[in-house]
Amino acid sequence: MMKALGSSRLSRRRFLTASASLGIGTIAAPYVARADDPTLRITGWGGKWGEIMKAEIGPAFESEFKCKLQTDSAFPYLPKLQASSRSAPIYDVLHTNSNEQWAAAEMGLVEPKIDPKLVPNLADVYPYAVSDKIVGVSIFTSAIGLGMRTDKGYGNVTSWKELWDTKYNGMRGGYVIPVNSLGQAFLMMCGTLFGKGQTDLDAAYTALEKLKPIKIVDFTGAMEKMLLSGEVGLCVIHDSGIYRYDGQNQPTDFVAPSEGVLSLEQVLTITPGSKMKELANAYVNYMLRPEVQKRLAETVWYSPANRRVKLDAKYDAKLLTTPEKVSKLIQVDWKWYNERKDEIDQRVNRIFRA
Amino acid sequence: MSNAATTRPNGLALFILPSALLFALFFFLPIGLMALMSVLTGNPVVMPKVAFTTRHYGRMIGDPYYLEVIWTTIRIGLVTTLVALAIGYPLAHWMARIKSRTGHALLLMAVLAPMLTGIVVRTFAWMTLLSDKGVVNQTLISLGLIAQPLKLMYTETGIVVGLVHIYVPFMVLTLTGVIGRIDERLEQAAENLGASPLRAFLEVTLPLSLPGILAGSLLVFALAISAYVTPILLGGFQIMTLPILIYQQISANFNVGFAAALGIVLLVISLLLVIAYNRALGLVSGQRELQ
Repeated sequence: MMKALGSSRLSRRRFLTASASLGIGTIAAPYVARADDPTLRITGWGGKWGEIMKAEIGPAFESEFKCKLQTDSAFPYLPKLQASSRSAPIYDVLHTNSNEQWAAAEMGLVEPKIDPKLVPNLADVYPYAVSDKIVGVSIFTSAIGLGMRTDKGYGNVTSWKELWDTKYNGMRGGYVIPVNSLGQAFLMMCGTLFGKGQTDLDAAYTALEKLKPIKIVDFTGAMEKMLLSGEVGLCVIHDSGIYRYDGQNQPTDFVAPSEGVLSLEQVLTITPGSKMKELANAYVNYMLRPEVQKRLAETVWYSPANRRVKLDAKYDAKLLTTPEKVSKLIQVDWKWYNERKDEIDQRVNRIFRA
Repeated sequence: MSNAATTRPNGLALFILPSALLFALFFFLPIGLMALMSVLTGNPVVMPKVAFTTRHYGRMIGDPYYLEVIWTTIRIGLVTTLVALAIGYPLAHWMARIKSRTGHALLLMAVLAPMLTGIVVRTFAWMTLLSDKGVVNQTLISLGLIAQPLKLMYTETGIVVGLVHIYVPFMVLTLTGVIGRIDERLEQAAENLGASPLRAFLEVTLPLSLPGILAGSLLVFALAISAYVTPILLGGFQIMTLPILIYQQISANFNVGFAAALGIVLLVISLLLVIAYNRALGLVSGQRELQ
């Protein structure tokens, strides 16, 4: 009797033990419940992209495919993938810009093409998204053109060549070419504008020399801030970097030059050593779904790659959503560029040193 | 008995063991791996056929651009060190000799206060001051003193200003301890023997504070040549230093071997300068043990 009573009495030690167990159990429950769920390791941007992926797009994918999405948004991704084992890569799906995807493919770190049988939505993408200039598939694109201040009385800007006008001395903005996709694409554009074509590097170098004085930054977020603060008046930028401030009454506008806009693709590839190939293909297919494309496009102002996406009028007016608009995109031959990257980097580093 | 005593492991050695292991694991091993990677054609962990090569060092020697980058890095380090010493020494001397405890505490707080904020934040603060639309240029323009903004950012001067602000506390704190231990009566004795205060300082205090100058300068120099954030933000990528070039090689060119070779060169230069500086100061101060 005494023993029974004693065993049922709530002592301080029992109370603390039970509380601790309950607490640990509560904290660990979601992890334990999902411990058996497969994990798909992907890369992705921060900012608005990261926010909506974390809040909506990612959880919906996890719920539908009974898996866990583990996203690395700490750029740069490629050196980490490069350092990891080929048979057990750090990522299953690599999301980055096209130039890096080409470098990854050259090193054998990603599969060069996506299988259309495993990704049915591939049938609905614009040709540029799977062209011979693309490794994997481009799920979105931005248009690289010119960003300008509308409160400086610059007048109507229509051509890339106006960036060379001396009235923008001290007010023009560009990129650190060795580390920035927009800068690298712009270098190729310089060859087209002043030489025989994208691959005319000598003409491009001469043109870049004449762009000085120029303020250069390493990533587009920094250029957006420079333009918003008035540090630069005319700069190379992608349309998303201007349109994302829509409705905030900023004195900035995007100019699509008459010579054409350059394509800044958001590309997905799958790593050859991934143990989650089925899930990786499912993720690529999911990201190409019209409803997912529409939600992301209207959040981050990227032009969707899927032809079947119908955007709201505000977005449809500005983004590349028809075959006619898409045909104005100029794609860069990144394979050619990457083969000469060291030589180009050495030259442009010299050009832009103070 | 005496043999047993000499072969018995020293108790103190056991205390040193963890830090020695830590040092070996996180200092010698990474540097050894970096040295190895700098003479290989690829990463042996992920590539099947890897051979020894000197091409990374050959590329550096063969292109004067890289030698210019190395010299820029050293120049920024040296100028930062000299300016930090020029600003830090009088402040440290004042802190070491001030009689008021409150005054000492206030000076110490003033020196430490900037260290309570991160390097990135402090560098951004300098950017708001030095940029074309920054406080300095806008004030000068509004006063009608200049018509066009002065080029304060994207220059070596801008980088040195930012680095000095960040590293002066390291110099001051190192010097304060050394100057504080110098017996003031030595200076008084010199003055009693007819030396002016300036001569007493130059011939007594300054030579005795040389170990502090050496330690503070080496600390600031090492930090300045390895700085990444401040040169990249205040230099706007137009001033290339070795740490920026190393990052560029890893993040954008994916050339780990060349990045490792650049890292080794940075390390060797630092070591050579440290040895040379050590010898020079040792000779000047007559403290042979420094060598």
